[in-house]
Amino acid sequence: MPALLLVLPLLFGALPGPGAVCPPEYYEIALVPTGRVPGTGGSTGTAAVAFAQSPFGIAVSPDGSYVYDLHLTLRRLPPARDGVYTVWISTPDLKQIERLGPLGAGHRATGRVSWNKFLVIVTLEPDAAASAKWRGPVVLRGLSRSGLMHTMAGHGPFQSEPCATYGYF
Amino acid sequence: MRLLLTAAFVMLLPAVAAAQDHGMHHGHGAMPASDSLAWRMPPMDPAMPMMPGLETELPPVAPFAPGGGMDPMMLPEAQPSEVVALADGDTLRLEAGLVRRTLGGKAFVMYGYNGQVPGPLLDVAQGTRVVVEFTNAIALPTMVHWHGLRLDNRFDGTLLVQDAVQQGETFTYELTFPDAGVYWYHPHLREDVQQDLGLYGNMLVRPPDAGYYGPAHREEVLVLDDLLVDAHGLIPWGQEAATHALMGRFGTVMLANGVPDHHLTVRRGEVVRFFLTNVANARTFNVVFGGARAKLVASDVSRFEREAWVGSVPIAPAERYVVEVRFDEAGEHAITNAIQAINHFRGEFYPHVDTLATVTVLDTPPEDDLSEAFATLREHPDVQRDIDAFREHFARPPDHVLDLTVAVKNLPLPIVQSMEIDTLYVPPMEWNDAMPMMNWLSTGTQVTWILRERGTGRENMDIHWDFRQGEVAKIRVFNDPETFHPMNHPIHIHGQRFLVVAMDGVPNTNLVWKDTAIVPVGSTMDVLVDLSNPGRWMLHCHIAEHLEAGMMLSFRVGGGGDGAR
Repeated sequence: MPALLLVLPLLFGALPGPGAVCPPEYYEIALVPTGRVPGTGGSTGTAAVAFAQSPFGIAVSPDGSYVYDLHLTLRRLPPARDGVYTVWISTPDLKQIERLGPLGAGHRATGRVSWNKFLVIVTLEPDAAASAKWRGPVVLRGLSRSGLMHTMAGHGPFQSEPCATYGYF
Repeated sequence: MRLLLTAAFVMLLPAVAAAQDHGMHHGHGAMPASDSLAWRMPPMDPAMPMMPGLETELPPVAPFAPGGGMDPMMLPEAQPSEVVALADGDTLRLEAGLVRRTLGGKAFVMYGYNGQVPGPLLDVAQGTRVVVEFTNAIALPTMVHWHGLRLDNRFDGTLLVQDAVQQGETFTYELTFPDAGVYWYHPHLREDVQQDLGLYGNMLVRPPDAGYYGPAHREEVLVLDDLLVDAHGLIPWGQEAATHALMGRFGTVMLANGVPDHHLTVRRGEVVRFFLTNVANARTFNVVFGGARAKLVASDVSRFEREAWVGSVPIAPAERYVVEVRFDEAGEHAITNAIQAINHFRGEFYPHVDTLATVTVLDTPPEDDLSEAFATLREHPDVQRDIDAFREHFARPPDHVLDLTVAVKNLPLPIVQSMEIDTLYVPPMEWNDAMPMMNWLSTGTQVTWILRERGTGRENMDIHWDFRQGEVAKIRVFNDPETFHPMNHPIHIHGQRFLVVAMDGVPNTNLVWKDTAIVPVGSTMDVLVDLSNPGRWMLHCHIAEHLEAGMMLSFRVGGGGDGAR
């Protein structure tokens, strides 16, 4: 019996069990700490990216943008002192920012995004009040996999200006 | 500088092409030789210069175009699709032949069924049986596949169950229509060529229940397609093997019902029921109805459990959707394909919109106001009851797992190098041909698209599944993103119907019976197949060039009437 238990995962790999949500690992976003908040430098996290529920199997908006559900899981994040961990999404040029809300139980959060390239940002906000942009320090952040699509042209990797300055979105 | 040089080269293309193209001639064999036909590189977006080293490359197969150099003016102009109402026991004569099609003021030799593009629209009642006496009048061997019909296996129109119909030969098909909805027919031999050239048509299967769909003022069948042309004409197809094997052949001209300027006129407030079919070789459309409200009603083989409002209809090759649209503002509206295209050179997404058809909405309301009925989303308990018998299987482990992958050999080195860099990010869906030169140069002799069975390691036609009639099989399809060139694949299962019960483990909450479903890159799709129809059938990718590059398997459903050979 234990052998069978070993074989089945080999046959079916790391794919989901019945009913288990398993977003594509390929598009998973690694959340990297900034170390700006004491005690959070060893924190890690991921934002799983899966198509939003759709009758078509794929979810796209009327302008053709993908519509994704995000599932954040953070690890080794100490309890927030003097503030509230809050999740945001943003376009890479920071021109559009949306607040997904405070981290939930077990340091998890979910949200929806319909941008093709985007940032996921976790900040330590002074309180749970809604705001248009974060006020506290960034604790972790990550970039959608599509952010890697930047290899054939552009302004080069060592320049400090944001890519958007050059028209690369 | 490179950009400017490339742009200049592209501008010179029509002249280059005209100098190179010096006619075609008839030949012999499976694909008539057309060795006097010259390759022309496909149109390139000047903003996306080609990779260095590819400037002089050509596909390693001979070019092919239909008609062997015939003057298109010798052929009759293709006619629009005619509705052919067929009663039980009726016979239709269907012929694949040469037609002239005029696109953008240029005349081309192309194909059509009964001189029409799309072919005749078969209008039948659910449950009828009709006979189609098919004649092949084109030089290529062909056969007709009746896509989505759960019909007698002998008439499925694949090489598993019949020989190819050679030029001048006939084959008699007997069709049955057990399910209501919109279906389509097309060749199942070199469809990258034949289907692209115009061999496709619809079947509209009428349910006995007048209330099957909600009330509508009119019904419109809309067949979506694209065609690859440059300033000189049609870009040739591969003779011995398909070109565009990596991504499939994306067109540069959008077609609805075979023409680039399809138009309809409705009155303000009219509810139009659209029957959409995507017959393109490779392109997935994201159809937007010009801001009009759209209600999703049905797909390939049934209605949805529940109707739903949608902002657009993403429709992959071979899929069908039934959508009701209310045009409540007078004026000119466009039905568009609205996508976020990718420019790999610049590493960016950019919005791109093509007009598929136009709608004039007259400022006069229809006599009967259907706004109240249209505003209501209907549930379909009969669909739900039909599915209930399968729910016990939803959560069980899969019976078979397929990994979708690709193998390549002998591709030009710049393509290999470019692809290895580019796969740092692969989008879930390829909405546009973001690498037209590299794609064109890849052929079925260099690219093998693979369905690999996990556990056995068997691939494509080495996979043989045996099922019992009445069995319900759960098949998991994983589109591996870590391959040489990952891409979305519309997976089609012949002769049966299936439910997409989960995508990436997320249960589907509004089910519909399908025969074709898209698997984005990186995703895992779980389907439950109702194996009710005996015979030997195919499962394959419906990107025509991927099918030509091997992405298919066969399975047998045992039982009486098994017509497999």
